[in-house]
Amino acid sequence: MALASSRPSFYRSLQGTLTGLPHTRGYANSPPGQQSPFKIQNVKNSGTSKNKKAFSRKNRIGAFRSMNPSQLTDPVLQPHSNLSVPSFKPELMTEDRIGQVVAFNQTPHDPIKYFGIPKNMLLEFRLLSQRCSVIRNITVFTAEELKSAASKPSHKTRYVLTGPSGCGKSFLLLQAVQFCLAEEWIVIYIPRAKTTVNSTTTHTYDLRTQTYLQPNFAQQTLRRILEVNSSNLQTLTMREGLNYDRRSFSSGTTLAQLASAGSKDPVISSVVLETLLNELSRQSKIPVLLAVDDFQAIYNQKTLYRDPHFSAIRPYHLAIPRLILEYASGKRSFPKGAILGAITAADPMFPVTTELMDELRLPGTHPRSAYNKRSKILQEYAQGLMNLPVPEEFSPREAASVFENWMRDNALTAPANDEVFLAKYTESAGNPKAFVWQGILGTLEGAAPIVSENTPWPQLREGRM
Amino acid sequence: MNVLRSQVCSILRRPIYRQIASVTRPFIPPAQLVFHDTLLEPGAKELDDSTVEALEDETDRRELEDDEFDPNDDRDKPHPDSPNFYSCRSSYYDNIVELQTAISRTRGTLQRLHLLPLPEFARKSLKPMPTVWKTPEEMTTDFETTMTISRYRRVTALLNELNEYLRIATTAGYADVADKIGSIISIFESGKKEAFLSRGIRKLVQLDQHGRSYTFGKRKTSSARVWMIPVKASSLQLNYDVNVEEALGLSDKPKRPPVNVTVSTILINNLPIAEYFPQPVDRERIVRPLKLAGVLGKYNVFTIVRGGGTTGQSGAIAHGIAKGIFAHEPETGTVLKRAKLLRRDPRMVERKKTGLAKARKRYTWVKR
Repeated sequence: MALASSRPSFYRSLQGTLTGLPHTRGYANSPPGQQSPFKIQNVKNSGTSKNKKAFSRKNRIGAFRSMNPSQLTDPVLQPHSNLSVPSFKPELMTEDRIGQVVAFNQTPHDPIKYFGIPKNMLLEFRLLSQRCSVIRNITVFTAEELKSAASKPSHKTRYVLTGPSGCGKSFLLLQAVQFCLAEEWIVIYIPRAKTTVNSTTTHTYDLRTQTYLQPNFAQQTLRRILEVNSSNLQTLTMREGLNYDRRSFSSGTTLAQLASAGSKDPVISSVVLETLLNELSRQSKIPVLLAVDDFQAIYNQKTLYRDPHFSAIRPYHLAIPRLILEYASGKRSFPKGAILGAITAADPMFPVTTELMDELRLPGTHPRSAYNKRSKILQEYAQGLMNLPVPEEFSPREAASVFENWMRDNALTAPANDEVFLAKYTESAGNPKAFVWQGILGTLEGAAPIVSENTPWPQLREGRM
Repeated sequence: MNVLRSQVCSILRRPIYRQIASVTRPFIPPAQLVFHDTLLEPGAKELDDSTVEALEDETDRRELEDDEFDPNDDRDKPHPDSPNFYSCRSSYYDNIVELQTAISRTRGTLQRLHLLPLPEFARKSLKPMPTVWKTPEEMTTDFETTMTISRYRRVTALLNELNEYLRIATTAGYADVADKIGSIISIFESGKKEAFLSRGIRKLVQLDQHGRSYTFGKRKTSSARVWMIPVKASSLQLNYDVNVEEALGLSDKPKRPPVNVTVSTILINNLPIAEYFPQPVDRERIVRPLKLAGVLGKYNVFTIVRGGGTTGQSGAIAHGIAKGIFAHEPETGTVLKRAKLLRRDPRMVERKKTGLAKARKRYTWVKR
């Protein structure tokens, strides 16, 4: 009621100010930091406190201002972790090292820094003081496979890591990348393949190849490959010369030089990437690993790209996905090397398609029959892929190592004992992601309250276990 | 001498009323009596002399033939079965009398055995023997009379006293006395005694031939069927960590302590717990009874849960698991009870009331 009665006076006063003042912009006239120019005069403000000055800007106490970092003296806020995790080495990929935590240390050609990693792993590595992962039995198996693949052409070793959400496929892929790098392979790692199909990079139609080129992505990829594999690329040379767009590369140029030229200029980057891969497919000195995470994204019939007729562009009509598809299907092959892909189980935008599920013999959530639509082209591109199922649960030994690792990094609010470990393991059913994120990091359990014997209230004592 | 006097005396000497019923003579209703002067009966024909003579002869003959039965003789009438015959509730009073007799005899016996009067401390230590008497309806058929409240109370008061003597006798160890009392009491005990006494008491869960327990849990509108079986510690798990060199202390690798634990698998509607319940709070609620009882990793759990939402289903499973743990290990009963896990949470959704927007929420108050 008070507001209703104040409204006529508000309008009257406004009219007064508007007609009274000349045409000036009030806010420009008033000095900053002082009374607001729009403040209405002569309006009864019911409900405001009497002491307005206490809340004015200059009288505000600095209690709610952010503190100087040097003033953080509480021991809880001091960064100290006694994590001394051994660094990752290929010699550690043995049966008796299963359950040991190893760290990916910073090196000059760090693939994590240059290639990048999927988002979940990135967040986890930010929390930990060191970038750790645990050696599992599947890691040892993959290492054995890659060792044997070093002497075989890549179309004979085409694995897809599958498993339910959070079982450690991306981690295993990263371990494989690190292993191959340590074994002096050339590694091409695409951590987020869905960026090639979700219309986030530029695409241009190329008449010569009749595909859509992705020059920026090609440029970035060349730069990354160069940074990580520079030493290996310097030893390899081009067999044939390349002439494109008034740029020419003679037949003896090293692949490193080729890659660096391509990484600087997006105009020629797509062609340079194509040439680089062709050269790598011809040399049989150094094995090549092509590791792709989000593997199922490139097997989706419709990408997010649209052509001028607004129909969805197919992945095999885009340059980078086509490259991956060709190597994955075995149509192109490295004389020595392997192709590894890891699917993302929980991405609704790019689900695992029927063609992939048929080839990898995955059960899937819905029953499939012969009447489900399948693309013949994608079926052809999926031919020959082998399923490498990642175990969906940690073994108790592996889980214990992970638990100890986080415990030493002061990540646990709960007391670090067997009960908490077993409880979290049982709750997460051994699932690695659930164990770490919802078990260790997501628990609200704290230390049990200590009630002294002299407390007068017996019901407080009753609650103790 | 008065001639009339002799006549009066002779008349007086003859009994005038020979048909009066006495103790020795049975009572014969008048309709069955044979009257000589049938002219008194209504609608009776006048009998001629020959008929009257024949009737008189018949009566005399009957009296002379049947030596045992003499309707005029009180000794030959049938006796009533019980002395309470004339109360029309003979069976009721008979039983009352018998119970009172039994009570007095038992009291005497116990007094002779120095068991009565019993001191207070001994009375408190008597073996409790709760009994359930037959209902008044059932007793009505026994006593052949309507058991009103007062009659029922009288009977049960006597029975309760007998039961007290039975308690004393059994606790003291006099089995014969106890048996005799018990035989009397058992006539009046209800057939539903066992069921009535065991109401509200937790039924013991039996483990089947494989050692599995089958329990039921409920919360809100969810219900869960829980099967629990102990985990078999397989030797394969242990082989992982055994290394000859390490065992002998010869290797130079850092020694890691072995992890020899069995782990519990919890399957809910055939899905692992992490898949069925994405929220950690639901998972923690389910694992809590195992944690409190200290049996994490000891049992594998398989449940089928229906109805309700996430909280109800997780609460129902927790209830079922707690009952299953109690079935396998009764020593954990105290801990689980203190944590209120063995109790079916009675909280349900409160109904909406008339005049209110929801169960408790009132409509906005308007001043006018």
